[in-house]
Amino acid sequence: MTFRLTCPVCGKRDIREFTFGGQERGPRPEQPGLSAEEHFRWVQFRMIPGAGAEAGAGAEDAGAPAGGRADTRREWWYHGQGCGVWFRTTRDPMTNREVEGGGGQG
Amino acid sequence: MNRLKLRRLWSPTPLKRHYDTIIIGGGVHGLATAYCLARTHGIRDVAVLESQYIGFGGSGRNTAIVRANQRTPENVRFYAEGLKLWRVLTDELDFNLMFFNCGNLNLGHSEAAMNAFRLAANTHSFLGVKSEVLDPQQCAEAIPGLDISDRPAFPIHGGLFHPPGGIVRHDAVVWGLAKGAAAHGVHIHQGCEVRGIDTDGARVAGVRTSLGRVGCNRLGIMAGGYSTAVAAMLGIELPIHPLTIQAMVTLPLKPFLHHVFSSGAYHVYANQTLKGEIATGAHMDPQVNYTTDATAYYLKHQAEALVELMPALRRVRFMRIWAGLADMTPDMAPILEGNLGYDGLYLDAGWGYFGFKSGPVAGKYMAEYMATGERPEMIRAFQLKRFLENRYSGETAAVMKYGHWD
Repeated sequence: MTFRLTCPVCGKRDIREFTFGGQERGPRPEQPGLSAEEHFRWVQFRMIPGAGAEAGAGAEDAGAPAGGRADTRREWWYHGQGCGVWFRTTRDPMTNREVEGGGGQG
Repeated sequence: MNRLKLRRLWSPTPLKRHYDTIIIGGGVHGLATAYCLARTHGIRDVAVLESQYIGFGGSGRNTAIVRANQRTPENVRFYAEGLKLWRVLTDELDFNLMFFNCGNLNLGHSEAAMNAFRLAANTHSFLGVKSEVLDPQQCAEAIPGLDISDRPAFPIHGGLFHPPGGIVRHDAVVWGLAKGAAAHGVHIHQGCEVRGIDTDGARVAGVRTSLGRVGCNRLGIMAGGYSTAVAAMLGIELPIHPLTIQAMVTLPLKPFLHHVFSSGAYHVYANQTLKGEIATGAHMDPQVNYTTDATAYYLKHQAEALVELMPALRRVRFMRIWAGLADMTPDMAPILEGNLGYDGLYLDAGWGYFGFKSGPVAGKYMAEYMATGERPEMIRAFQLKRFLENRYSGETAAVMKYGHWD
């Protein structure tokens, strides 16, 4: 299934022009007093909810509202076969699509 | 015609309000664990809850390859025992799992790959697992039609042949284990979706399902690619990324391919099924998603890679393409845990590419873990805490790894 991402410079472009850069993890934890465990938790551990558990939303729920459900993800993408910009966008793992209005920010 | 009368492999059972042990996920891992709990450990008050039908997920979507030529000793030992279980289970379950012991050939396309093969072959022989390094001529003898000339972009430098591996009919494994588990008293509930997990703060207490609440003393999360979603119901974070992995089959051909072969450089593995189709796959989309969408561009990639390695396949048509979920960990080794955050909560996940070949042996040791509460020595290396201690498994150095991080 192919789909498009919104590059902040070029606009909507085919997913194949982009390289995935991982989930936005927020700022790196402050170094003083940081335990190894806290550090590695920040590096690798994620919560990735599936179909809205109690709400009973299914994989067919492609019409997620703008801003998305709590389980959409902020991610880094690189427009390597385009303008070369790194940017963040919001994507829904249940639909594999960019959330409408979630992209295009540097 | 009477002889063809349909007989159920197991009978439907009512959903009780409480079970001693509940397993989330009716795939190879969940069913194997339930089977071993009931048969080996006498724990028969067990329910397997499956949101769709048994074998709907990765258990029915993998390319059915089994092997034990992993990189690290803890993984080789584990998968080597798993490989021996197919024959044992075929007898025990009285169900033909169609284990085709055809052997696996990994192709190397650089001298670095050949060195990795030599290292791996030494690890394997040290642990009593058969593996041998082949030169290009021997590869061509093993796989007719393989282009060992210097024409391909990445010419073949040699291979690593692993005779004990092969392919197993994955549906038969699911059905056989379900039959065996049910015969020992396990309840299998299909169409029963888990939507929440109850605890009393310290211990698991039960699950909330589409068919109502069910209590339990022990709970096993064995939901394959959906394990992260189930763990999230308890707010548990895991170092696992569910990614789609695609596979496809060509139209059936006369038998000509007598081994599984794979190439890390071309990002492809292939075997000929007993029906004659070339089953092939390997591609993962890099971004986390729970869809099982297939992509046109991967169909093209796969055709190009296969034809480059084996030009005679040109013009053979693909018949079907599908995708499933792989639960990828950062070090390509699984996570087998007990009392994870809550007493009585067990996790069998993070198998990535290797969920099918590990199913029965993981079930054996998870059943032992759940029955005794003691972590078996065999799975000691697969603890979650290794990711918090920066002690990753060395499995990413395996010669046949295919991830997008290659």
